[in-house]
Amino acid sequence: MSWKDFQHLDDESLLEYYHATRNPNAFRQLYTRHKDSLYRYCAQMNLACAGAVLEALWNRLLESPPQLHGRRLRSWIFIRANQLLRQYAGQDPDTPDAAPVSDNKLLAAIQQLPTIERNVLLLHMECGLPLATVADIEKTSLKKCREFYNRGKERLEEILHGPQRQPWRIEEVSEVTV
Amino acid sequence: MSVWERQYRDAAAGLTSPAALDDKILQQAQQLKPPLSENRWLSKAASSCAAVTVLVLLMHPAQYLGALTPGLQPAHGAQNNPLRNWQHKPSQPTPGNDPWFHLRSQVNAGSYIELCNQWRKQQQGSTSEKLPRDLESKARTHCRLLP
Repeated sequence: MSWKDFQHLDDESLLEYYHATRNPNAFRQLYTRHKDSLYRYCAQMNLACAGAVLEALWNRLLESPPQLHGRRLRSWIFIRANQLLRQYAGQDPDTPDAAPVSDNKLLAAIQQLPTIERNVLLLHMECGLPLATVADIEKTSLKKCREFYNRGKERLEEILHGPQRQPWRIEEVSEVTV
Repeated sequence: MSVWERQYRDAAAGLTSPAALDDKILQQAQQLKPPLSENRWLSKAASSCAAVTVLVLLMHPAQYLGALTPGLQPAHGAQNNPLRNWQHKPSQPTPGNDPWFHLRSQVNAGSYIELCNQWRKQQQGSTSEKLPRDLESKARTHCRLLP
C-alpha cells in the first residue's frame, strides 16, 4: 500500500494494519496525524520532559500496539501521555512543570493556570477529548471537570484582560460633621 | 469555538514537534521488523499435512475398489461383470473371405434375380455349390413369386 492509500483509513484501522504488517508507512501516517497535537500538550504540561515522554509513548506503541477493543486510538494516546507525564513529574520533582513554552501572551497565560485546570483545558481544547474522558483521566466527576474547565477559562480571561468589570456602586458618603 | 479558543489555535500553531524527535521515532519504526509469529509454522505444518493427505488419497488402494478389474471381482458380483454377456460380433463380410459376398450384397440391395437363378440351379442339381443358410431361406421366401 502506498502513502495515499493510508490517508483514507481512520486511526484504528491504521493501527490494526500496522499491528499486522509493521508497515512503516502506516506508522508514519499515524505519527503525522498526532505528533504536533501531542507535542503541544506535553510541552505545555511539562516542557522539560516532553521529549522523553513522547519517545516513551511512541516506543510503547511501536513495540506493542495497544488492543483498543472498540475505543478510539486518540483517547488512548492522550491518556497514556498523561500517565507518562505524571510518572516523569513524580520521578524528578525538582523539574518545574510550568516552563515558558512560547513568547505568546495566551500561551504564557495558560502556563500560569494551576496544573489541574491547565490539564483539563488542554485535554479538551488541544487534544479534542470529550469532557467525560477528561474527567476519567483526572479521576473526577463530570460536573467537577466542567467546573475546572470553566474556571480555567475565566482565569485565562482574567490573566489576559484583567479582572471582570464591576458595576458602578455609589458609596454612601457619610456626612462629616465639623 | 470562542474567540480566545481561536486565538489559542493560532498561537499554538507555531508549536510543532521538533524534527530531531520525529526523525528519531520514525527511524525506530523503520528498524522494527514484522513479528515472526507462530502462524508461519502453523501454515507450514498445515500445508505439509494437506500435501500428505492428498498423497494418501491418491495412493490409497481404497480409491481403486470401484475400478473395473475383472480378475479381482468377487464371485457374488458376477452379475455385474460386463464380460458375462460378452458376445463375439461376427466381422463384416468382405469380398476376400466370403464367396457369396457379391450375391449377398445384391440380395441386400433388393435384387433377387441372381439368387433365384442360383436357387433354381441348386434345386435342379446342376450346380455343386450350395447356398449358405441365410441366402437359402431368403430364396425360399422370395423365389416362389418370381417366374
